[in-house]
Amino acid sequence: MSNVIETAHLTKRYGSRTVVDDLSLRVPHGCVYGFLGPNGSGKSTTMKMLLSLIRPTHGDVLIMGQPMTRTSRRRLLAHVGSLIEAPPGYGHLTGRENMRIMQRLLDLPQRQIDWAVDTVRLRSQMGKRVRNFSLGMKQRLGIALALARQPQLLILDEPTNGLDPAGIEEIRELLRNLAASGVTVMVSSHLLGEIDKTATTLGILSEGRLLFQGTRSQLMAASRPDVIIETSDPRFAQSMLRQSLDCRTDGRATRIAQADDAATARAVSTLVHAGVDVFEVRRDDQTLEDVFIDLTKAGGL
Amino acid sequence: MRYVNIEFIKLQRSLAWAVVILLPVIAVASGSMSSLAADSGLDDGWHTLWIRSIGFYGMALLPVGIAILASLIWRTEHRNGNWNALMSTSVPTSTTVLSKTAAVAVLSALMQIVLVLTVVGFGKILFDLPGMLPPQYLMSSVLVIIACVPVAALQSGLSTFFRSFAAPVAIALVATGISTTALLVDISAVIAVPYATATYATQLGTSLVEASNTSFDAAGISVGTAGLVAAVSSAATAVIVIVTTWILNRSDTRA
Repeated sequence: MSNVIETAHLTKRYGSRTVVDDLSLRVPHGCVYGFLGPNGSGKSTTMKMLLSLIRPTHGDVLIMGQPMTRTSRRRLLAHVGSLIEAPPGYGHLTGRENMRIMQRLLDLPQRQIDWAVDTVRLRSQMGKRVRNFSLGMKQRLGIALALARQPQLLILDEPTNGLDPAGIEEIRELLRNLAASGVTVMVSSHLLGEIDKTATTLGILSEGRLLFQGTRSQLMAASRPDVIIETSDPRFAQSMLRQSLDCRTDGRATRIAQADDAATARAVSTLVHAGVDVFEVRRDDQTLEDVFIDLTKAGGL
Repeated sequence: MRYVNIEFIKLQRSLAWAVVILLPVIAVASGSMSSLAADSGLDDGWHTLWIRSIGFYGMALLPVGIAILASLIWRTEHRNGNWNALMSTSVPTSTTVLSKTAAVAVLSALMQIVLVLTVVGFGKILFDLPGMLPPQYLMSSVLVIIACVPVAALQSGLSTFFRSFAAPVAIALVATGISTTALLVDISAVIAVPYATATYATQLGTSLVEASNTSFDAAGISVGTAGLVAAVSSAATAVIVIVTTWILNRSDTRA
């Protein structure tokens, strides 16, 4: 599988401040790449370098195998749709007028405009001026403007910002569908939960450095959330499991750290055979902060 | 041409149209105010009306008006994520620079046309002047339209890099003050500066009437002066467009 985005030692410094530090990104073709990191970790700066909106201090960017530079960018950008920071849109114009500007600018056929508008489900709002759009609608128009050129690569910076849960789910579904049709999607977020289930590949950024890059299962192996078992007798359960597992009591629940599937099955079996009633077995929700703590504890990857 | 059309889609419901109409109307109205108030009429008919209208307009309002138009055209690009979107398409940087310049130049040309129509309207309706506006002023208006192009390119270039609306307008105001002064004290080299070229073009032909010419010794319209305006304008426009494209290709968006 070839990489649609590859960077080598990508670095951006402003004065003595290093914003992006020696990144080697690998974004495989046809994936949804979740680019995670807290606010200020360098996600937007990285994405801007991928688009040549800003030039790196060091290192190179390869887009579809070709170096992205100020001389090559216009040619490469024909195949790249993007939404960086605030969504674009001329506030004094309607959604339809905004789409017409993009259509004329890139000389696109009407069906591509219709497809982009339908994909983000904005058809019924196109007569409204963009300044009267909700933030969610502006985000969707921004995505439609990026999609209109039918890009092979879509780079979206926090596209779920300001969206309600239904809107977030809609974007997730949209990204999955685009990836299924062969578009490579790179999407950033500061919330793991937002793109966790959509992304097939993850890159985690902290203070400009890549803490982790790989598939979701690789991440799980590196940073496994606790298994929580709720039982009729937590104290007895803990004494049973303590011998073989790293566990502690947390109210009604027993938390087992670093348990893989086999260990989880063993724990349940042990408890059931000892006559303890098991009410619930689940994995704890994993936040980006948990992952960070785990990855930092392990010294990164 | 397609790209210039796009600029005019963006100009829908823009304040730019108010500027295009109001600025020349104000220039003509204020120029003929004294005559109207004193009920003294115009000493030399169309010539006096034209000179009073174009005088202050050419020496201050026109360059500032072009500056406002350029700032208005660029203002929306500096908002929301529009700048990033504009810089992330396959459209060459030079095309963006040229189409913005063209849009500002077209609006400036319309401003000159509104000025001519307003002068004719005032002359025929308010002052009941016989005949028509002398054709030499139509000729000089064509030259004004040409001389506005480098100013449009320069102001569009300034508004590309200044996110502030007022800064490029202030620069135009100060630069016009300096260039007009230089023209008054007869430093002829200043004519290469776009603001001076535009002012020079507006004053062409206004010295025919001894008594009421504008403050400096304006040249007449001849093949020589027309050629000078056209040559200086095209050279300056080319240089400004090339430099703007060069800088824009080498600048980064804000972090």
